[in-house]
Amino acid sequence: MSPLTFTVHIVDDDCGVLRAMARLLRTAGYDCRTFASPLQFLDEYDPSGPGCIVLDVAMGELDGLRLQAALRDRGVEQSVIFVTGKGDIPMSVQAMRAGAIDFLTKPVDGEALLAAIERARNDDTERRELHDERVSIEANLAKLTPREREVLTHVIAGRLNKQIASDLGTVEKTIKVHRGRMMSKMGVHSVAELVRVAERVGIAPHEKQ
Amino acid sequence: MSSGLVDETDRASSSLRDSVSTAMLVALAYFIGAELAFFIGTLSDKIFAPFWPPNIVLFCVFLLVPMRRWWIYTLITFPAHVVAELGVGMNLPQLLVAFATNVAVAGLNAGAVRLFADGRPWLGDPRKALIFVAATALVCPAVVALGGAFVPILGGATGNFSDFWAQWYASNALGSVTLAPVVLTWLCEPWPPISQVPEAKRSEALALSTALVVVCTVTFAVGPGTQGSSFLPALLYLPLPLIVWATVRFGIKGASGAIFIVTVVLIWRTLNSHNLFTGGDAESNVLAMQTFLIGLATPVLLLGAAINAIRHAEQTIRDSQERTAFAFASTHIALWEYGTAGERFWTSANCNAMLGLKPNVTLTRTSFLGAIHPQDIAAARDIIRTTASAAEPTTREFRVNLPDGETRWLLARGYAQRDKNGEITQTAGILTDVTDRKAVEFEAELQRRELSHLMRVSVMGELAGAIAHELNQPLAAILANAEAARRMLRQAPPDIDEAGAALDDIVHENKRASEVIRRMRRLLRKGDSKPEIVNLNDLIESTLKLLHSELISRHIKVDTNLGADVPIIWGDPVQLQQVLLNLAMNAMEAMSLVPPSRRVLAIASRHLNADSIEIVVRDRGHGLAPVSTKQLFEPFFTTKDHGLGLGLSICLTIVKSHGGELSLANHADGGVTAILTLPSRQIQTMAAK
Repeated sequence: MSPLTFTVHIVDDDCGVLRAMARLLRTAGYDCRTFASPLQFLDEYDPSGPGCIVLDVAMGELDGLRLQAALRDRGVEQSVIFVTGKGDIPMSVQAMRAGAIDFLTKPVDGEALLAAIERARNDDTERRELHDERVSIEANLAKLTPREREVLTHVIAGRLNKQIASDLGTVEKTIKVHRGRMMSKMGVHSVAELVRVAERVGIAPHEKQ
Repeated sequence: MSSGLVDETDRASSSLRDSVSTAMLVALAYFIGAELAFFIGTLSDKIFAPFWPPNIVLFCVFLLVPMRRWWIYTLITFPAHVVAELGVGMNLPQLLVAFATNVAVAGLNAGAVRLFADGRPWLGDPRKALIFVAATALVCPAVVALGGAFVPILGGATGNFSDFWAQWYASNALGSVTLAPVVLTWLCEPWPPISQVPEAKRSEALALSTALVVVCTVTFAVGPGTQGSSFLPALLYLPLPLIVWATVRFGIKGASGAIFIVTVVLIWRTLNSHNLFTGGDAESNVLAMQTFLIGLATPVLLLGAAINAIRHAEQTIRDSQERTAFAFASTHIALWEYGTAGERFWTSANCNAMLGLKPNVTLTRTSFLGAIHPQDIAAARDIIRTTASAAEPTTREFRVNLPDGETRWLLARGYAQRDKNGEITQTAGILTDVTDRKAVEFEAELQRRELSHLMRVSVMGELAGAIAHELNQPLAAILANAEAARRMLRQAPPDIDEAGAALDDIVHENKRASEVIRRMRRLLRKGDSKPEIVNLNDLIESTLKLLHSELISRHIKVDTNLGADVPIIWGDPVQLQQVLLNLAMNAMEAMSLVPPSRRVLAIASRHLNADSIEIVVRDRGHGLAPVSTKQLFEPFFTTKDHGLGLGLSICLTIVKSHGGELSLANHADGGVTAILTLPSRQIQTMAAK
């Protein structure tokens, strides 16, 4: 994935700082979108692509922490990096708890900012990979018949075909067929692999009553 | 009590004893006087005594002793009278009538003078002298002479009653103007100690007396038929210059002394030589001499009295001037008058000293302005100019440099004196040394400035965090731009254009940071800040910039409504900004308990009318507790938990010193409105100073 596709959203109501940070990040090859108004940012922000958000804390219209909360309410997953002119510990704790990946103090050291952005990009990439995986797993899951899905929960619970057949009131052979089709539709070759995939999408193993 | 009474009795008896012993002396004098007159009468057949000295002795005594003691003197002189008169063979009725008329004329004279001339000195001024002459040389002897004329008749003399009346009258009148004055002024008025009389004056008196004696001796020895008799009328005037000289130089004492000398020498020369007054029988000779002497003495006495009055007035003026000068000098006040016609100053004696000029320097416009501190020449020139033109008294203050290097502050207050046409005749006024007051004022001003500075420091302390943030913004931008530029230059190929843009931004941000520091330093500046042209709208904006970060962190929105037509004023920008800052911070503080969405700081300015500018600072807080507006501006009154209570008090002082007003009130829609009014005409009046 090329860095150019990674968009850094910078929100700071100080135009000088905004322009300077964007300039610095562009030299590092990032695509930057700048917002001098937090409200404008909320209007125009597109969270679909890869990217992160650099937020100033002290802004007249809407301060950074509130903006972060608003983004979380919208289900935005992109990483948030705070920069502030006068950060204090309670504020940084609050920000980090709310999911910020860094809390930098102005004047921000360029290396520190770039490192934080890099981390955000890695997180983003990882998140996107996970997301993609989940999407393909869910696509596979969608192909399963209800019976096959039922078998899946039994398989990841570590049960033998014979036990599953007994539980579902059928014969071992039938289970074997279901299991084979299910494994093939899910694109996995081992139970271990299946367990990992199921876990990724949050499918719980069948629990014996 | 009893001892007091004893004392009183003692004093009364002792003064009685004194009176009796004095009376004995008086009786002796009476007797000698009578004998003297008889002696003169026996010396020549040409004249008899032209006056009767005993009556003058009695008259003077009556004038000098209390009236209640007159009887003692009368009683004791009676034997002297009897002895003297018996010696010349008077019969008893004649003797008694003579004594009665003598006592009567002396008593009447003394009574009249006492009654009309109110106290000693009896010949102190022309009015008293006129009363003296009128009473003792005109009225009283004329009246008593009606009785006195019987004395020769009782003695068996033959002649006209009117002639006897005239003789008796003239001899008593002459005594009153020739003998009485010399007794009363030489013996009864104080003399300065001889050591205090200048040598020249003593010599002058001696020379004058000698000259008068010589001139009279010569003049009064010339009679009809003698050599030089054709000059007779002229000769009579010869003593006159000397008499006038004595009178003018020595006042009433000189006058009475000169008259005495003329009288004595005239009598003496008449007795032993042939002169103007020896042509007829004894009666007419004496009458002529008496007429001459009375005619001479009366105006001279009046002149002498007038000279004394003038001397006395001069002395009074000198004393008064001395007192005034002393009062001026001790209160550091000098008087001055400036004639508009001749550019001439009159000043009180201490004026030169106050201006630091030598005492012998004549004060003119030039020397006056030369004494003034160079920086205050305009004010000094102004007082001369405006005093001469203004209808009201004007006041100016200026400094003078004294020769010892000290600088003193003087206050000049002047007004124009006008004649009845309203034309200015001269200007006059006072100079007051106000250095002490100035020092106190300066000290107070210094303390006020100090306090005001401390308050600014304290405000800046409160804003420290916000200001650090204000500084951080440009610093952050500078750092990011610098790092960006470095990266751009290290690229291959280097992005020179973009690096240049980054450097431009660095320059810009640097200026921005300097601006923050400049704003801060201006407020923290200590010492003299001179009045200058102030744009209030700029000042409001600058204040809001200073508060920018603080406003953000307190979640306060700002609503400015600055009138475009607000004129510039003349004032102290630092102090005025301090007022704006204080009002704004009070407003911000007032909104700390209201929800962030409602926090609005509104600042508006407008040109209220031709004379004033209004600035309104409004918050949306909970408003003022019900306290009096006056109380709000009192020092150390505060409604804040950690306030000193000096902010508004200092603001009010600053606003007042700019000629403005400051008031606080609750707004109908909630919150407090601070209304600051400043005079816009200030710029002309201050510039004129």
